[in-house]
Amino acid sequence: MSQATAPTPGTAPAGTSPEIGLSTDGLSKAFGGVQAVDGASVAFHHGKVNALIGPNGSGKTTFFNCVTGMIKPDAGSVSYRGSSITRKAPHRIARAGIGRSFQLCRIFPRMTVLENMLAAVRPHPLHLLRSSHDRGDIERARELLTRVGIEHLERVEARDLSYGQQKLLELGGVLMADPETIMLDEPAGGVNPALIDRIAGLVRSLNAEGRTFIVVEHNMDLVMSLSDHVVVFDRGRPICEGPPSVVQNDPRVLEAYLGI
Amino acid sequence: MPSASDTRTADTGAAAAHAGRRDPRGVVPTIVKAVALVLLAAAIVAFPSVAANPFILSVGVVIMSYAVLATGWNFMGGFTGYMSLGHAAYAGLGGYSTALLIVKAELNPWVALALGALITAVIAVPVGIASLRVRGASFVIVSIAFVLILLLVFQSWGGFTGGSNGLRIPRPFGPEVLRPEQHERFFYIHAALLAVALLLWWLIDRSRFGIGLKAIREDEDKAQALGVPTFQYKLVAFVLSAFFTALGGGVYALWFGFLDPVFQFSILIGSYMVLMSLLGGIRSLFGPALGALIVGYAVEFFKSEYGDTQFHLVATGLLLGIVVLFMPDGIIPGVTGLLRRFRPQASSIREVTQAELAEQRAGGAHTGTDSSGGDSTGGATRAPDPQVTEGVHP
Repeated sequence: MSQATAPTPGTAPAGTSPEIGLSTDGLSKAFGGVQAVDGASVAFHHGKVNALIGPNGSGKTTFFNCVTGMIKPDAGSVSYRGSSITRKAPHRIARAGIGRSFQLCRIFPRMTVLENMLAAVRPHPLHLLRSSHDRGDIERARELLTRVGIEHLERVEARDLSYGQQKLLELGGVLMADPETIMLDEPAGGVNPALIDRIAGLVRSLNAEGRTFIVVEHNMDLVMSLSDHVVVFDRGRPICEGPPSVVQNDPRVLEAYLGI
Repeated sequence: MPSASDTRTADTGAAAAHAGRRDPRGVVPTIVKAVALVLLAAAIVAFPSVAANPFILSVGVVIMSYAVLATGWNFMGGFTGYMSLGHAAYAGLGGYSTALLIVKAELNPWVALALGALITAVIAVPVGIASLRVRGASFVIVSIAFVLILLLVFQSWGGFTGGSNGLRIPRPFGPEVLRPEQHERFFYIHAALLAVALLLWWLIDRSRFGIGLKAIREDEDKAQALGVPTFQYKLVAFVLSAFFTALGGGVYALWFGFLDPVFQFSILIGSYMVLMSLLGGIRSLFGPALGALIVGYAVEFFKSEYGDTQFHLVATGLLLGIVVLFMPDGIIPGVTGLLRRFRPQASSIREVTQAELAEQRAGGAHTGTDSSGGDSTGGATRAPDPQVTEGVHP
């Protein structure tokens, strides 16, 4: 907290030295001639709400996709809680304890809300032919649906939900998989202020229960009020990081955002 | 935001909750389903004795064979949404491996059938590993490529497969079993195979494995991000699908007694499997079998009416066009959707009586306060929000 200056990427501030959960080292990914992620070395604080901000096209989503295995990085490594998860299949990364949401909310449209939740259950291979509507699983799904506030819609097909409800369902599904680290890609994108408050409340309470968050977000008020640690991306790499109050006034951030 | 809109949103939310207790798929009560199933089974058992002549009976066998193939196809197409146009490859491999095991290895025909299907399933493993790396249209192209390769191999390798001269398979039943009786036996064998395939499809449909497969069909990346080992799941479904298709092809080979690569490894047979499944509904247990009944009957009808013209192809093409236009999900979902429309109570979640509404209004206020869950910010964030509690438009 006392370190006012932005530390160099990848190194924790001396003294307080926060626990590092997810970190990357020299992560790079190019699409044709565009270097979307350019040697990014980032360390996220475990047990905290981390925010990843930056102008459009700065590589945040590509970074997310590289970390979660949806895209194979060209170079660099990703590690989580001390072990490498570089180039692992997305379901392995998910099973290592990292859950994620997608930028344009993705749910299973032709399945009911309850089935959407049950799809996140990870059965033992020997139990694969057991009924998907397991009593215990359904109970847990209902608890989580209640928590995100859409328990009354459990039998509705997900495609019939409003966009806001779909966002809540996506979060519910991620929680059903019970990850210790949750990566949210623009949780407040395209939703009304009341719902933003609700999502923020959920993030806070889940974080209080020990879940780590890494949030890509453009809503600055939300980022500043929610996060403990902010990483600013520009042109595919972090240019500055630290507590929100510090990042907010960093000249490099202002330059990246406003092009001054 | 509070006050005026407050009660309205709470009401529709509660109305949705009320309707939510009903199962939207429970359009047809279980007892009706059970009775229908028994009647269907009785009709199948009775068919050979009521069939007017051996020709009609043989059409019945062909339709049953199509039903097995289409249901086999649907293990892949229906659950995962991967549309293989080249599934004739597995029917053909099943047929040829059964035949060759009988002719060359002189195995018992039924042992050959089982072994042939197993061999096909083993071949499907590397094919699946290679082809399931691509999705959508690319997968369709790869599936066609495989069947074309097999066509060339089986035509050219005449010394082993009989090539374009075809391969004759000795009848599994002795010469004392006459043609009509042979048709009857094979009708029942196909029916038994269909029953096994349907039972397994139903088991998977309601299982955890099935929900994972359906998640892949809906959004593969999302399923993977939730921890579903998508590649492994797809491969298992693919091999199962190949296995049942091969069994279907093998039984057909035993019945028909003659194989020619041009007919076994044809795009047309694969397309029929897709057409039948789409027609009946790939998300429904009986969809592919119903599609097989319609398409199989239509094809045989047009063939017998118009001889060797290609008119049956035009007719089936038109049929597919009509179904895609008016019932894009297939006949079974289309019809259940219609049934649902006649029962507004069970379908529209806005359908509630005044009395029910009043009751919910009283009850809704109560549940609104006690279910704030783990929201640390408490009541403030639970402010009714039209986005969230808004009713659903069916």
